[in-house]
Amino acid sequence: MSRLPVGRWLVWAFLSVFTVLTLFPIYWAINTSFKSPVEVYAQPPTFIPRDFTTAAYRWVLDGGKAMPAFRDSAIVSLSATVLAVTIGTLAGYAFSRFGPQVGGDRLAFWLLTTRMTPPIVAALPLFFLFQDIGLVDTYQGLILAYLAFNVPLATWMMRSFFNDVPRSYEEAAYLDGYSLFRTFYRVTLPLVMPGIVATSILVWIFSWNEFLLALVLSGREISPFPPLLPTLASGYQIQWNNITALSLFAVIPPVLIIVLFRQHLVRGLSLGAVANR
Amino acid sequence: MQASTLQHPVPAAAAVVGPEPLIRIEGVSKRFHETIALEAVDLDIPNGEMLILLGPSGSGKTTLLRIIAGLESATEGRILLAGRDVTDLPPEQRNISMVFQDLALYPHMTAFQNIAFPLEAKRGRNKAEIRRQVEEKAAMVDIGHLLDRRIGQLSGGQRQRVALARALVREPIVFLMDEAFSSLDAILRREFRAEFKRFQRRLAVTMIHVTHDQEEAMTMGDRIVLFNRGRLVQVGSPIDLFLDPATLFVARFVGTPPMNLLRCQVTHDNGAFQMKGEEWSFPLPPPVAERIERGGKTDAALTLGIRPQHLKWRRDPWPGGSIETVVDVVEPVGTEEIVHCRLGKGEMQGLFPLRAGLREGDRAYLSFNFEHALIFDGIDDDARRLT
Repeated sequence: MSRLPVGRWLVWAFLSVFTVLTLFPIYWAINTSFKSPVEVYAQPPTFIPRDFTTAAYRWVLDGGKAMPAFRDSAIVSLSATVLAVTIGTLAGYAFSRFGPQVGGDRLAFWLLTTRMTPPIVAALPLFFLFQDIGLVDTYQGLILAYLAFNVPLATWMMRSFFNDVPRSYEEAAYLDGYSLFRTFYRVTLPLVMPGIVATSILVWIFSWNEFLLALVLSGREISPFPPLLPTLASGYQIQWNNITALSLFAVIPPVLIIVLFRQHLVRGLSLGAVANR
Repeated sequence: MQASTLQHPVPAAAAVVGPEPLIRIEGVSKRFHETIALEAVDLDIPNGEMLILLGPSGSGKTTLLRIIAGLESATEGRILLAGRDVTDLPPEQRNISMVFQDLALYPHMTAFQNIAFPLEAKRGRNKAEIRRQVEEKAAMVDIGHLLDRRIGQLSGGQRQRVALARALVREPIVFLMDEAFSSLDAILRREFRAEFKRFQRRLAVTMIHVTHDQEEAMTMGDRIVLFNRGRLVQVGSPIDLFLDPATLFVARFVGTPPMNLLRCQVTHDNGAFQMKGEEWSFPLPPPVAERIERGGKTDAALTLGIRPQHLKWRRDPWPGGSIETVVDVVEPVGTEEIVHCRLGKGEMQGLFPLRAGLREGDRAYLSFNFEHALIFDGIDDDARRLT
């Protein structure tokens, strides 16, 4: 920050405007969620609900569709995260240590290319494929679809975390009589724990918020919450109060997790993911 | 020094050698794709020896250490450990302990857990027994009070001690060290050299230590193995290498301040042999001259090597011939001073008693006794010793 008072004021002014711009939609969502359907459309808009009501929240809690949707979201996103991070950790280790032998030098790039295709390209083909083998509208189907997108990301991230662990740590363990697997478990894995946490959070948030694949591949038997939201906007009225209440509910778990694990996340996403180095 | 000792370097620790060496390295080569990292190395290492693998970076010394450890596989050749062929064994089955350049102490463990780590490799060990052994070794290296600390909370010297304790806690066939002191400052490094050597003697263990620091090699080693560009150049005690270098490379690499190396030629005019450099010449004593003539090296490009401590100086020319130089810099080092003298485009260094009287800008006539002079057959690293 500048030592000049003028410079400092400019920075503060910029940050204040930025903060307002960032927080306003969130404030507006909270504001709207406590309004009645009529007040939502009031002109001029009210900045504090005139008829304060918790109807929208009651709708979320026992409105029939919302809570099952959260349950489905939780099941799918947690399963996808555990599987993607497990596979990504093992694959990332293999690529980090034996990369040149198994994947060539450009492997990291190839892993990332899977993220370059928009998911919509895969969504419809996946639907037809899944229909043939009975995976549409199942937990397994959606989890599998998420894995296809998350395993490369998790692998790529874990690979770079493993790259930060010096080879000599493992070599010392081999010489001390440890096998490859025990070395991995006793030495390498504990050192990339911050990386695992960071990767898990990213993968989980992706799965929790994912909309497109959930919309295409589910909807009747199972339905995560993101595709539920647009159904509230169809028909003759957009239920903004219910939409915002549902959205705020959906935001709570990621916010809590990020607040709780922010140190891991920061360390994991910046350099030096290896503990205590 | 006779040329005959050159062919048969006598190991300093020969007294403890049984008929079978502890480690035998037979024709070990290592190639990475096209590059040759190590070429046909043969070496026997007796039990209880402090062996130093010395050489500049990229000379193959670390590669050989890693092949002994099993971290690298040899392209050709065999490694025998205590009579057993371990060439194809993975490192965990070799019973070797190693201190790495970065020490490889685990930051997620305490000092105690780090030292106990090798003992826990075998499952089902008695916890109390592990504790006893860890505490014993920790006390030995003076870190008994630091066992609960994490590695990040220890100083460089303390980490070095933890690494030493971790190496000592097992009873391996051999201890390997890969530039283990490189992270320490000069004072601590000196301290640890002495300390490691003391432990090596006291426990009568075999150590192989890799370094590029010739001073470290000279002070620690029973024997030194000198590498250059993947080849083993010379094996011998520090004093052998110092007094009796086999090639120009050894002469250049070993000793501080470094040996003075001057290009020269031996000429033969009417029965008198002269050694001539660019701006100097000496009459050559008959025994030296004979040897050079027998080798057919008169008029060939040779190199004269003379240690700084063997130079003598005067302000006037020496009767038997001398090298005229101008003093450039005088560096006092303890009880002596290193005098850098300009000679044409090059430089010569003399090691003289402190306050010998030479000042910057003085004219100094340097000379030496021919029994200290080494003459090499050629001007490149591979040039062999003639006398």
